[in-house]
Amino acid sequence: MVDPATTPLGKMLLDEITPVVMVLCTPLVEESCGKNGISLLQMLSPFCNFSNIDVPVRTASDQPYRLHKFKLRLVYESDIRHPNLEVAKEQLKQVITRTGEKELSELGSDPPEISDVVGRSESEILPSWFQLFNKELMHTVSFSEHEAFDHPVACLLVVSSEDEQPINRFIDLFNTNKLPSLLNDGAMDPKILKHYLLVHDNQDGPSEKASKILTEMRSTFGPNDCQLLCINSSEDGRIERQDNPWASHKSDASPSKHLGSFLNNDDFSEIKDVMQELASKHIIPYMEQKIRVLNQQVSATRKGFRNQLKNLWWRKGKEETSDSPNGPMYTFSSIESQIRILGDYAFMLRDYELALSNYRLISTDYKLDKAWKRYAGVQEMMGLAYFMLDQSRKEAEYCMENAFTTYAKIGSSGQQNATRCGLWWVEMLKARHQYKDAATVYFRICGEEPLHSAVMLEQASYCYLLSKPPMLHKYGFHLVLSGDRYKKCDQINHAIRTYRSAVSVYKGTTWSHIKDHVHFHIGQWYAVLGMHDIAVAHMLEVLDCSHQSKTTQELFLRDFLQVVQKTGKTFEVVKPRLPIINISSLKVIFEDHRTYASAEAANVRESLWRSLEEDMIPSLSTARSNWLELQSKLITKKFEESNICVAGEPVKVDIEFKNPLQIPISISNISLICELSTRSDEMESDSNSSTTELQNDEESKLLTTTGEMNSDTSSFTLSEVDISLGGAETILVQLMVTPKVEGILKIVGVRWRLSGSLVGVYNFESNLVKKKIAKGRRKVKSSPSNDLKFIVIKSLPKLEGLIHPLPERAYAGDLRHLVLELRNQSDFSVKNLKMKVSHPRFLSIGNRDDMTKEFPACLQKMTNAEQSVAGGNFNKMPQAVFSFPEGISIQGETPLLWPLWYRAAVPGKISLSITIYYEMGDVSSVIKYRLLRMHYNLEVLPSLNVSFQISPWSSRLQQYLVRMDVVNQTSSENFQIHQLSSVGHQWEISLLQPFDSIFPSESLFAGQALSCFFMLKNRGESSTSSDDTSSPSCLLGSDVSLQGTADTLFDISGSPLADFHAHERLLQSVSQDDTNTVDFIFISQPSESDSDSGISDPQHLFSHHTCHCSILGKTPITWLVDGPRTLHHNFNASFCEVNLKMTIYNSSDAAMFVRVNTFDSPSSSGQTSEATSPRSAVPSGNQAGWHDVPVLTDIKVTSQLPLNQVKRSSLLESVSPFIWSGSSASRVLLQPMSTTDIAMKVCLFSPGTYDLSNYALNWKLLTISGQGNEGETRQSSGSCPGYPYFLTVLQAS
Amino acid sequence: MIACVAVVGHQNNPLYIQSFTEADDALKLHHIVHCSLDVVDERVNNPKKSGPTLNETFLGLLYPTENYKVYGYLTNTKVKFILVTTDLDVRDADVRNFFRRFHAAYIDAVSNPFHVPGKKITSRTFAERVSTIVKSFGLSSAG
Repeated sequence: MVDPATTPLGKMLLDEITPVVMVLCTPLVEESCGKNGISLLQMLSPFCNFSNIDVPVRTASDQPYRLHKFKLRLVYESDIRHPNLEVAKEQLKQVITRTGEKELSELGSDPPEISDVVGRSESEILPSWFQLFNKELMHTVSFSEHEAFDHPVACLLVVSSEDEQPINRFIDLFNTNKLPSLLNDGAMDPKILKHYLLVHDNQDGPSEKASKILTEMRSTFGPNDCQLLCINSSEDGRIERQDNPWASHKSDASPSKHLGSFLNNDDFSEIKDVMQELASKHIIPYMEQKIRVLNQQVSATRKGFRNQLKNLWWRKGKEETSDSPNGPMYTFSSIESQIRILGDYAFMLRDYELALSNYRLISTDYKLDKAWKRYAGVQEMMGLAYFMLDQSRKEAEYCMENAFTTYAKIGSSGQQNATRCGLWWVEMLKARHQYKDAATVYFRICGEEPLHSAVMLEQASYCYLLSKPPMLHKYGFHLVLSGDRYKKCDQINHAIRTYRSAVSVYKGTTWSHIKDHVHFHIGQWYAVLGMHDIAVAHMLEVLDCSHQSKTTQELFLRDFLQVVQKTGKTFEVVKPRLPIINISSLKVIFEDHRTYASAEAANVRESLWRSLEEDMIPSLSTARSNWLELQSKLITKKFEESNICVAGEPVKVDIEFKNPLQIPISISNISLICELSTRSDEMESDSNSSTTELQNDEESKLLTTTGEMNSDTSSFTLSEVDISLGGAETILVQLMVTPKVEGILKIVGVRWRLSGSLVGVYNFESNLVKKKIAKGRRKVKSSPSNDLKFIVIKSLPKLEGLIHPLPERAYAGDLRHLVLELRNQSDFSVKNLKMKVSHPRFLSIGNRDDMTKEFPACLQKMTNAEQSVAGGNFNKMPQAVFSFPEGISIQGETPLLWPLWYRAAVPGKISLSITIYYEMGDVSSVIKYRLLRMHYNLEVLPSLNVSFQISPWSSRLQQYLVRMDVVNQTSSENFQIHQLSSVGHQWEISLLQPFDSIFPSESLFAGQALSCFFMLKNRGESSTSSDDTSSPSCLLGSDVSLQGTADTLFDISGSPLADFHAHERLLQSVSQDDTNTVDFIFISQPSESDSDSGISDPQHLFSHHTCHCSILGKTPITWLVDGPRTLHHNFNASFCEVNLKMTIYNSSDAAMFVRVNTFDSPSSSGQTSEATSPRSAVPSGNQAGWHDVPVLTDIKVTSQLPLNQVKRSSLLESVSPFIWSGSSASRVLLQPMSTTDIAMKVCLFSPGTYDLSNYALNWKLLTISGQGNEGETRQSSGSCPGYPYFLTVLQAS
Repeated sequence: MIACVAVVGHQNNPLYIQSFTEADDALKLHHIVHCSLDVVDERVNNPKKSGPTLNETFLGLLYPTENYKVYGYLTNTKVKFILVTTDLDVRDADVRNFFRRFHAAYIDAVSNPFHVPGKKITSRTFAERVSTIVKSFGLSSAG
């Protein structure tokens, strides 16, 4: 434990609890002193602090001890009174204000880091003025009557030698009328030590007169008590001291050098001697003596058991009488006051044991008397005495607490004392490192008065900081509390200081409510002080306050903008919190040789374009083939290093702005920050072609670094965007920079203006971590900063393309005529145009002549010869690149118009990409070719669903029955059915019945379904054209008009339909060969009746292509039995022999064996049932719900069948009515797609009607091994029962 | 009446703080909760004081302010629960019971696979559950 006297409290006590010397002087003395700019008191005060005296002291005990340090407090007699509270308050306020002003300069600096603050020593953390303030605060309760240490011990009477009748003046000075009221009314002892001092001003003349007066004084007042002090010995008043002792005593800021300028060193030492003598020779001995006297007195009256009993009894008796709040009045002469004086004197002479014993003695008395204030005062002194003795900490604390609560209990009069007591208590706790307890005490001291409590709270907060471990949360909280109170008293400087420290506490935490509060208020206060920069900096922290309520957000934003406006200048803030820039949304779109017709096109993945453009772009080797072109070679290398953009063409940057608040904010003047440096030394680097490193950055001259976009002299132009972000809204902004000259363009960042006042800047470079560049080429190794760097090259021609009128949504099958419009704004020509479409199924490139034609009339079938000419042009392969004719050049105002055919092929969403390749007319340009990429997102809605079902016509070879089902899948559209065409020479389609009869309305309403039947006939020319079917030129099919009235048919072999059909064929193709398939094109038109809907424009057609409809039945063979149906024969002569011919057709792609078995009798019932079973099996097996029930004539026969069978079955038992003659089984090898005839003969024995169906065809495919694998489902063999063939033989008459 | 409940993460970061008072005193309650963390730290780091109750999650009365009483609770994962109440005579058993139920609610909330540990608890279910617990706290203490 350190010596208590060296602790701050010890020093304070040694400083404060010292003997008071009352000073009385005449006006002339003051006048003399005033020449030095100081008063008498001020002149003497510095010499009242004796640090190296050696005075022996003997108090109550016989053991003397020595005092080495001592201090006197000099007080004018007029000041010995209760200090005026109001004045004191004002004084305190001034202290605070003054220190606040001093600190103003520091406020501009950054607040210290909390980690730095923790661990600093107390003296570093605490502002020094706290001590001053605390001292002033303690002085507000000085000269209280309940304490004795402020009672004057001695009286210094000072008279000037110039005074007339100095002796009388001395007597007059200590006239009781003039003495302070406290001395007169008995609170203090007026009988005190008197010391007489004659002051002689040497400027007024020699000191002889003074010495004469001194002798006179000595004779009057006694030889020891009189002294002479000569001052102002210096003539010229030019004495200047480096360490002026008066400087600290003079509070105002007048230059301290002139203080005491008339006092030379002799005067100095004289004053010193006078004061030292006063202390050591007079005051200390006087006090010693008084202690001894009082001690004896106290011992006589109060010590010992008898005295104590007597005292107790006496006090008990007195108890009832006095009940005033302050207890009974005690005069200085009362025994209680005497004991207190004894204690205080002992304390001042540092005999703490004696002091403590006396305090203890008196404290019980006061307690019994209910003299609470005195009791508290004594308790307080006891606590201090315990502390100074360094005994019993608990006791000391208990006393202080007791004193404090007692003072607090007695109400307002004790408030000041309680504060002083608390401060001492705090110091005591601090001396013992009980900072946490000290903080609690500070908290208890802070009273009603905000300023007072502000200081106390701030001190409390520092205590929390100093406690081990530091309690930072409480530190911050108390700082905030203190700051609020400072603000209430308009001590803004102090408020800022506390909040600044609090900021460091909350920095980095997520307690956003508290943080916002602190930052917002500190910002406001800085603004009040006019330190707008810092104000804005703090306010910026608050802006991103999405967790706050809407009103708070509004308040924050409004105040912030006010502060910004008040500054009168535009602030530029890097990376502000508002609005939030979504850096991951950053996307750069630039056009080098790849240009885009729309933003959509730019968003398509590069790989898609690359795959599309693969066969259009000349390969890299061909581009470099001309080795003489060094420049192009170099540039190619540069391509890999950096991005290329073309002068005059904008580079677009997409970036998202997000408003985290609930209130709308307006953001204006959003623009990019760019740097463009021109390459002055292009030629040099070109000549030095071996250096692959691009050093242009260093070599180049930086032209423009500014973000100002106004000037025409600037080498680039920037676009500006104004947006208004609603609450919690996110807006994607597209910004553009258009370089005007060649060089290197660098996009540095983005800037904007928030609510017209704050300029925000965001540098892309600062966080590149998550950036993605849309058009990244092979840039794996290049640094990300290169992604925002562009080499600007000379301006090039650029094509702009547009397709109109491309519908965004269409119904499936919709066929339209579109126009591609290409423009070239530049003066340079382009050549060698090529075009490719990603989905040729949807878009086909037309013929130039189509431009002038009228749609859809141009598609109608014409009878004359020009038909074939038009069809002949289309020999190109699908998917191929379309090259525009050589002569085409696009330049200037006139656009190139080119027809396109659009057909909404399948329902769904489709992204259609079109690339147009073109080469520069100017060979010298860096980029040889460019690409125009167009992209459209289209939606195709389902319209008509057309399906076909084909089954072989059982009774006729090479003829098929086609059933067409059409369902209108739309919800509102009506379609007018126009025609059905089968594709291919070999097919001929015809209606089975007049269309009017089955479908009279001709238009298909929404949701309606239609089925109708057609007959399809194979003309047998398939072999000649089988390999040409894919070619559109052979689309010479046969058409059936499904329209009753109109007879115009559309030509399916015409340009767009044939093209689209070819694509459909490709896309619908199945693995199967197409020899046995047929394609249909179904054409309809939107019904003219509903003209209000969007697509009812009669200008377009709907074509539905259904390809590869298999004509195969269940078996690969079809056959036909041909022969007479009715015969007349005379059975009387002989039996009847009938020759039949069976024609078998192999429709499969493999050769097969067919064996025809005839059964002589229909005895095998299995055969009979088998013959009939297919009929019953077909309806169940066919999902379409229809089967090849023969129409009309056949139906009649089958209806008779049961009757016939019954009749026959009766015959079966007896005898076979007919027998097959000739071979019972014949076997033939049938080549694929071929027919063969087999002759058959049957013998009939009686007239009747016979069903010659008792034969069967067994077939077996000659499969090649490879072929067998692919078709698991295909049957390789099977047998077919015979068709019913009814032969009627009549008896010839 | 419970004025405020809070969940504070092990780095003293607020995970959930909800006041149940009518007045606009969110800031004050934030400060109170924030301050009480010092006391929690003190309790946790002073094993000799909490010797017998070493494994006790309930920290008891942290400190009385002018109008409030602050209770604390520390989970095994060093997540702190703070309860600020305006009742001046609160039975310890009630508070313990409250914290137990609150802890259960918290566990359910952070068991949500979409909850990011160390981030604020935004679950609406949790908020509803807490408010029911808070309401029932008043009832149980009354009855």
